[in-house]
Amino acid sequence: MIATGVAAEPPAVADPVVPARRRLPPLFLLGASGAVALVLLAPLLFLLIEASGSGAGTIAHLIWRPLTATLLWNTVRLTVVVTALCAVIGTLTAWLVECTDLPGRRLWAVLLVIPFAIPDFVVSFGWASISTWVHGFQGAVLVMTLAVYPLVYLPVAASLRGADPGLEEAARSLGLGRFRVFLRVTVGQARGAILGGCVLVALVILAEYGAFEILGYQTFTTEIFTEFQVSFNVSTACALSLVLVVLGALILGAEPVARGKGRVVRTGAQAQRTSRRHRLGRCTLPVHAALAVLVALALGVPVGASVYWMFVGGIPFLTGVSVLDAGWHTALYSGVAAALATLLALPVALLAVRHSGRGGRLLERSTYLVLAMPGLVIALAISYFAERYAGGFGYQSAALLTAAYAILFFPLALVGVRASVTRAPVALEEAARSLGRRPDEVFLRVTLPLIGPGLAAAFCLVFLACATELTATLVLVPTGVQTLATQFWAYQQNLSYAQAAPFALVIIAIAAVPSYVLARYFDRLPSRAGTAS
Amino acid sequence: MTLESGAPEGLTTSDLHKAFGDHAVLRGVDLTVPDGAFAAVLGASGSGKTTLLRILAGFERPDRGVVAVGGVVLDDDHHHVRAERRRIGYVPQEGSLFPHLTVEGNVGFGLRAREGREAEVAELLERVGLAGLGRRYPHQLSGGQQQRVALARALAVRPHIVLLDEPFASLDAGLRATVRADVRAAVRRSGATAILVTHDQDEALSIADPVAVIRDGVVAQAASPRDLYESPVDPDLAGFVGEANLIEGTSYGSTAETALGWLQLRDDHRPARQRITVLIRPEQLRVAPFAEGGPGVAARVVEAGFHGHDALVHLVTEDAAAAPMVARVVGGIWLEAGARVTLKVVGPVHCWPRPPAGDAHPGLPAAVPEAGPG
Repeated sequence: MIATGVAAEPPAVADPVVPARRRLPPLFLLGASGAVALVLLAPLLFLLIEASGSGAGTIAHLIWRPLTATLLWNTVRLTVVVTALCAVIGTLTAWLVECTDLPGRRLWAVLLVIPFAIPDFVVSFGWASISTWVHGFQGAVLVMTLAVYPLVYLPVAASLRGADPGLEEAARSLGLGRFRVFLRVTVGQARGAILGGCVLVALVILAEYGAFEILGYQTFTTEIFTEFQVSFNVSTACALSLVLVVLGALILGAEPVARGKGRVVRTGAQAQRTSRRHRLGRCTLPVHAALAVLVALALGVPVGASVYWMFVGGIPFLTGVSVLDAGWHTALYSGVAAALATLLALPVALLAVRHSGRGGRLLERSTYLVLAMPGLVIALAISYFAERYAGGFGYQSAALLTAAYAILFFPLALVGVRASVTRAPVALEEAARSLGRRPDEVFLRVTLPLIGPGLAAAFCLVFLACATELTATLVLVPTGVQTLATQFWAYQQNLSYAQAAPFALVIIAIAAVPSYVLARYFDRLPSRAGTAS
Repeated sequence: MTLESGAPEGLTTSDLHKAFGDHAVLRGVDLTVPDGAFAAVLGASGSGKTTLLRILAGFERPDRGVVAVGGVVLDDDHHHVRAERRRIGYVPQEGSLFPHLTVEGNVGFGLRAREGREAEVAELLERVGLAGLGRRYPHQLSGGQQQRVALARALAVRPHIVLLDEPFASLDAGLRATVRADVRAAVRRSGATAILVTHDQDEALSIADPVAVIRDGVVAQAASPRDLYESPVDPDLAGFVGEANLIEGTSYGSTAETALGWLQLRDDHRPARQRITVLIRPEQLRVAPFAEGGPGVAARVVEAGFHGHDALVHLVTEDAAAAPMVARVVGGIWLEAGARVTLKVVGPVHCWPRPPAGDAHPGLPAAVPEAGPG
């Protein structure tokens, strides 16, 4: 169904505000972006060096095994099923919240995003600890869908909010019914956002480790982790990592092909016309029920299970101290990494948005290659490099961990920063300068107020992702230090659910605050007008 | 740095060049706008007019050439005064209001915080007809109101020059006339020199003086609207600034022999005998009901386009000695297609010498140097 909507002709419009000028970007911007790209691609380079160290013959021998086929089958079928489910759920919920007169949609907007804040391994823990049915393939489908559908919901909601209401009206006037307008115009306009969300979902599934370990579902990541951490078999881990990176690169490469050449552009932060919302009418109640079920499954079960286990074990006062300590380390590492990632994203976003030359585009694209690198692989590559070439300097140090976070979640920061930079067109800065304001004043009074909320959103996104990261943290966490995730993991692996539960709840709380801020931020963007009368 | 005394006040550019990559956009623009004038730069899209404006504003640096205001050099090979130091206001095409600021915030943006700032903003808003809307946000305004705010914002800092980049293009026709008149009045009262960039020749001719027509990256002609309309430098330009009937003829001193009879030439210093192209504006053609033996040339109406206040009548002469022509007739609804009429040319006409052979209508001004602006 979605596919036919996507196949419809793209509603492309040219950007009328800023003519594409072939201006050379300032050198420092090029230099900074180039340096950022180098840092980001370093793990891939390390991985290749590592692989060449083992020799092509060994690597090939390790890859051509029945084990690889099993891992491939497990990984691919899960990816396909979960991505499809997320596309449908994410798009429908986004449409309901943004385009209909659904009562209480602000509350729903928050509730629908929060599951994104709950780490996949906590969702997995919640389900697996209360039900034996949630196991293996079906368990992985259920858990991953509930954990990651917001990756489709968020971009689609943003895109629908910014969509041109005139297009829907034009389609109605061309004789299309409501349903076909939804498929061909509404979904068509949000096509890029849906595809982008799906790509993220697929990449998350490729990279996930904790949830599958708990569910006993074997994929590339679980196998790589075992080979590296348990068997210390670096060559095998490296060979499998290469396959995983190729899979990720394939998904990334498919995205621009699927997106096609159509572009949906509006004039940005200019005055916008708003459109009327669709009336749900008699469907209101069933829609509420469906959303309630979704939120109960995605949010209620993990939170409920954690609370349940905490009370079963009695409130463990002794863990209070270690929760505080672990929480402090999580917040520290995540905060530094989020600031770093946002800072790194700024020059790349400026280059890509303001100087749309071939060089800028290439640089921006190259940074997206990081997406194909699962956190586990990045962590392995970095730890390998630190051990082998930096004389062990920094291995399992806080600096290395935050660097790994910043690299891993750079694309997330870039998405947010890029969007916010788009909201501050050059024309506004030029207008400000012609009014006699110096460049620094222009930056403080025009650029920053316009992109500030977006930068904060990017920071929150990365912070959230770092605070809920498990895999790379397990590999790189400084010796003797526990973060919330690693402490949770240690208890969970001992099946000490009662002791793991408080950590799960604190992780949820830490992650929920930024996601609430995010939801509020997206809510503040120009929204559609009130209900149809 | 200042030029020697006696340099022209107002804005001057000389030999401005600008290229984007291989594409030369400006190829030696020479322009002079007197102090206090409301000038227009008129050109088709892609002629380089917006680039010229952006160079004047200081957003782009010219590859070569000089920009000076009031004798002070803003751009040359060694100097580039930054946009914020130029005191040149800029009203962008789409208004480009700061979306995060109210109307007051936008208008007061360039003003330093000091006593009387609020009153100043209120006065500016009143001047552009927006009194009482100061607390609104840009998205709560109509397109015309946004343009007014953009103008008030530019005038607030008392610029020497205001650049208007097609500010009326996005407004509908009814609104355009009033906004245009208000903008002109507000700029006049501020005492600033204004330069309007537009592709609409009616707009340029009706509110600006002088008007500079930019074509292929050079100023083809800069003159008063009247000179531009009556004595364009070449036939191509004649067609660009209005409807033009071009007929061939031979000049004898101050008169010329054409298919429409003997015509008085506007410029009477022609050599004794020369082949020329004559420009006859539609208003110069008098159309009268056909009368046998009367004055004028017999013609037949091909089509009459009714415009309310007047009509544009397409005609061919009966002997078909000249190309089809267009006449503007006031109250000419009685003219049906096929009607027989007589044609008469009123007033002196403009002409260009024709090259000996080949191209009848040279597009290059160099071919007719003596017909330059007066």
